[in-house]
Amino acid sequence: MNKTIKLTAVAAVAALALAACAEAPGDGGTASATTPVQTIKPVDGFKPCVVSDAGGFDDKSFNQLSFEGLQKAAAEFGVKAGEVQSKSDADFKPNLESLLTANCSLITSVGFALSAATVEAAKANPDIQYVLVDDAADNDRDGKVDAENIKPLIYDTAQAAFLAGYLSAGYSKAGKVGTYGGMPFPTVTIFMDGFKQGVEHYNKVKSADVQVIGFEGGDKGTFTGGFESNQKAREAADSIINQGVDVILPVGGPIYQAALDSIDDSGREIALIGVDADVFVTDPKTEKYILTSIEKKMDQSVYDAVTTAGKGQFSFDPYIGTLANGGVGLAPLHNFEGKVDATLVAEVDALKDQIISGEVKVTSYLAK
Amino acid sequence: MSAPTTVPDEQSVSGQLRHVEVISKKFAVVLTAATVVLLAIVGLVPREGEARFRLSGGSEALQIPSIAVPAMPLAWASVVICVVLAAVSWVLWRSGRRTPWYVGIVFAVVFLAGFLGWAGAGSSNDVPISNLIGSSILLAVPIIFGALGGTIGERAGVVNIAIEGQLLGSAFVAAVVGTMTQSPWAGLLAGMFAGALVALVLGVFTITYRVDQVIVGVVLNVLVLGLTSFIYSQVLVPQADLYNSTERFPKVSIPVLSEIPIIGSALFHQSVIVYLLYLTVPAIWFAMFRTRWGLRLRAVGEHPLAADTVGIKVKSVRYRALLVAGAIVGMGGAYYTLVSVSGFGKNMTAGAGFIALAAVIFGKWDPIKATLAGLLFGFSTALASAMSIVQAPVPSQFMLMLPYVVTLLAVAGLIGKSRAPAASGTAYVKE
Repeated sequence: MNKTIKLTAVAAVAALALAACAEAPGDGGTASATTPVQTIKPVDGFKPCVVSDAGGFDDKSFNQLSFEGLQKAAAEFGVKAGEVQSKSDADFKPNLESLLTANCSLITSVGFALSAATVEAAKANPDIQYVLVDDAADNDRDGKVDAENIKPLIYDTAQAAFLAGYLSAGYSKAGKVGTYGGMPFPTVTIFMDGFKQGVEHYNKVKSADVQVIGFEGGDKGTFTGGFESNQKAREAADSIINQGVDVILPVGGPIYQAALDSIDDSGREIALIGVDADVFVTDPKTEKYILTSIEKKMDQSVYDAVTTAGKGQFSFDPYIGTLANGGVGLAPLHNFEGKVDATLVAEVDALKDQIISGEVKVTSYLAK
Repeated sequence: MSAPTTVPDEQSVSGQLRHVEVISKKFAVVLTAATVVLLAIVGLVPREGEARFRLSGGSEALQIPSIAVPAMPLAWASVVICVVLAAVSWVLWRSGRRTPWYVGIVFAVVFLAGFLGWAGAGSSNDVPISNLIGSSILLAVPIIFGALGGTIGERAGVVNIAIEGQLLGSAFVAAVVGTMTQSPWAGLLAGMFAGALVALVLGVFTITYRVDQVIVGVVLNVLVLGLTSFIYSQVLVPQADLYNSTERFPKVSIPVLSEIPIIGSALFHQSVIVYLLYLTVPAIWFAMFRTRWGLRLRAVGEHPLAADTVGIKVKSVRYRALLVAGAIVGMGGAYYTLVSVSGFGKNMTAGAGFIALAAVIFGKWDPIKATLAGLLFGFSTALASAMSIVQAPVPSQFMLMLPYVVTLLAVAGLIGKSRAPAASGTAYVKE
C-alpha cells in the first residue's frame, strides 16, 4: 500500500511540475541578451512586468504583441522585465501576487479575462502601477476605472474593421462575405460589428447588396465556443464557406488556422482577413490567403505606456486606440495588391480620413 | 413507474405477477416535453417568411434544388403531428404497451423539420440539411472514438477518465510525426501508438499498482496537457514548418454510395479516418459480444474473481483491453491534426474527452449506443452553428450551450436504467 501511495504522489508531482513549467516569474532573457546599449536611465526601482492570460506569450496574438512591446521598452531602459504566463483562469491571482514579490513597479495584465483579478490586486497595492490591456477595468459598469492605479489600454477596433468590411464588400465577387468569432465577448464582437457596418456602408454608397454571413449585430452570430483551432472552428468556418462567401474574417486567436484548411478543402478562392497583428507577417503559412489584417497595435501602446512609466511621466488616463492615433489600423494588402482594384484602395483610404474627421460614424461599445 | 394493471384475481396472483411487464412512461413524458417546448417556441415567437432547405451537399451527380417552404404553416403542422405522436405514446402506455422505436424516429424528424423551419424563416441563407448531417459526423468522430475506447476499458473493469489526455496526446504525436514524415498514415499510426502509451501508463498504475483509477485518469489528463503545451511552445511554435504542419488525409468518394441524394456526400465523401470509424464500430460490437476475447473482457469487468477461478488471466486481459482501447482513442486524436486542421494547437481537444466519457454512460457501455450518443452531441453542435447562420432568434450563448445541455439532459433523463459493469473502477487483487 505504501508503494501505491508513493507512486501516486510521484505521478501527481510530476504532472504538476510539468503543468507549471513556465509559471515561475522568470527574468526576461531577451531584454538582457539583446541590449548592451543603455540609452535612457529609468526612474529608481523601475521594473516592468507582464502576466499573460491562458493564451500564453506565443499566441501570435495579443499576449505576444503586448509581451514584445514590454520587452522592447525594458530593453531600452536596460532593465530586466518580469514575466509570468497563466495556464488557466485559476492562475491569475497567484501570478499577479508572484510578480509583487518579484519587486515589480509596473504590472501589465494582458487580456480582459484578467480584469477582475487586476482590479483586486490594484486596490490592495496602491503603490504599484497597473496596465490592463484590452479592457476598461470597469467591472461595476459605472463608466469609471475601478481602481485609481490602473491604466486601461483599449482599442476601438470597429474603426479598422469598418475599413476591412468596406474593402471586402468591394473585393467580393460572390456578393457574400462571412465572419465568425471565438466567444461572444465585446472584444471579439467589436471586430465583427465594425466589419458589418463597413459592408453596410459599402452597400449604401454603391447601392450594392453584399451580405454578411455569421453576424447579425449585438452578440448574435456564429461562434466556435472557444479559442482553439480544432474541429469546432473548422465546422464554423465550413458552415460559413458553404453559404458561398469569398471573404472570411475569423476573430479570436488561432481559430483562423482552421479556416485555412476549410478554404483549401472548399476548392474555391477565398480571401482571409487576419486580426490583431499583421497575420501575413506573423504566420507565413497564410501568405496566399490574407487579403489584409485588422491590426490592434498592442505592442506599440504597451511600449508607450511602459516607456512613460520608466521616464517617470506615467499617467493613469485610459488609452483608446483609434484610427486617428494609429492604435488600430489596416495592414498592407501584400500579395493581394494586384488583385484589388486601385480605386477601391483609394476609396478605403478616403474612408479612413472620413472616419478620423468624424464624417462617417462607426459605432461600437467604446463609441456609441 | 409501472403501467396501471388490473387488480388480479386471488387465484391467479402468481400467474399475473409472472407476466407483469413494467412499461416506463418516460418515453411519453419525453415526447410530451419536447412537444411543449416546440409549441412554446412556435407560439411565443412567431416568425414570417419562407424557410429554404438546401438538400444537396455539393458533389452528388443528381442535384436537388433548394426547396422553399412557408415557415409558420410548416412549424404548426409539426406541432400538430408531435401532439398526435405524444398522445399515441400515452395511449399505448395506458394500455400497457411499449411505444415502438420508429415512433421516436418519426417524432424526431418532424420535430426537427418544424424547428428548423421556424429557425430559418425569412432568412436569405439556406438551411443546409446535407451539410448539417456531414458536420454532425465530423464533429462526432473524435468523441465516438473516445467513447469506444472508454467503453472497452470500462467493460474490462478500468474506468478511463484519461480519454481527454489520450485524444490530446495522440493529436500532438500525430501532428509531429505526420509533419516529419510528411505521411498522414505514419501520423495515424504514431497517434494510435501515443493513445496506447497513455493507456499503458494508466494500466501500470491502476492494474499493477492498484492506484485509484479516477485519480490516475485525472492526473494523466493534466500531465498530457502540460507536456504537450510545453513542447508546443518550445518546439512546435518556433519551427512550425518542421514539426507542425501536417499533410492531411484527402477526402475520398465511395462510388455509387456518394451519389445518394442528401446523405451521399455527407456520409461517403469523407477522409480515411471517418471510414475507419464506420468499420471500427461494428467490429468492436462483434468482438465484444460475439468472440471469446469479448466474453473474457466482459467477465473480467463484471466478476474478476469468477473469471480468475476459471483460468482467465485478469490482469493480462485488462492490459490488452486498455492498449487496444488506447489505440482506438488514438485514431480519434489523430483526426484532429490529420483531417480536421493541419496542425496541433494548445489544448485543441477542449474537453471532447469528457463528452466521450458522458457518451460511454449515455450509451450504457455499449459500442453502438455510445456511437449514437456521440452523434447526438455532434448533431447538436452542428445544429447550433446552422441556426446562427440562418439568424434564428436565439442568443449565441444559448447556442454554444446547446450541445452540453443536450448531453446533460440525455445522461440525466433519457437513459433509463443504466448499470455499469460490476467491477468497473476496482482493481483486482488476486487472493
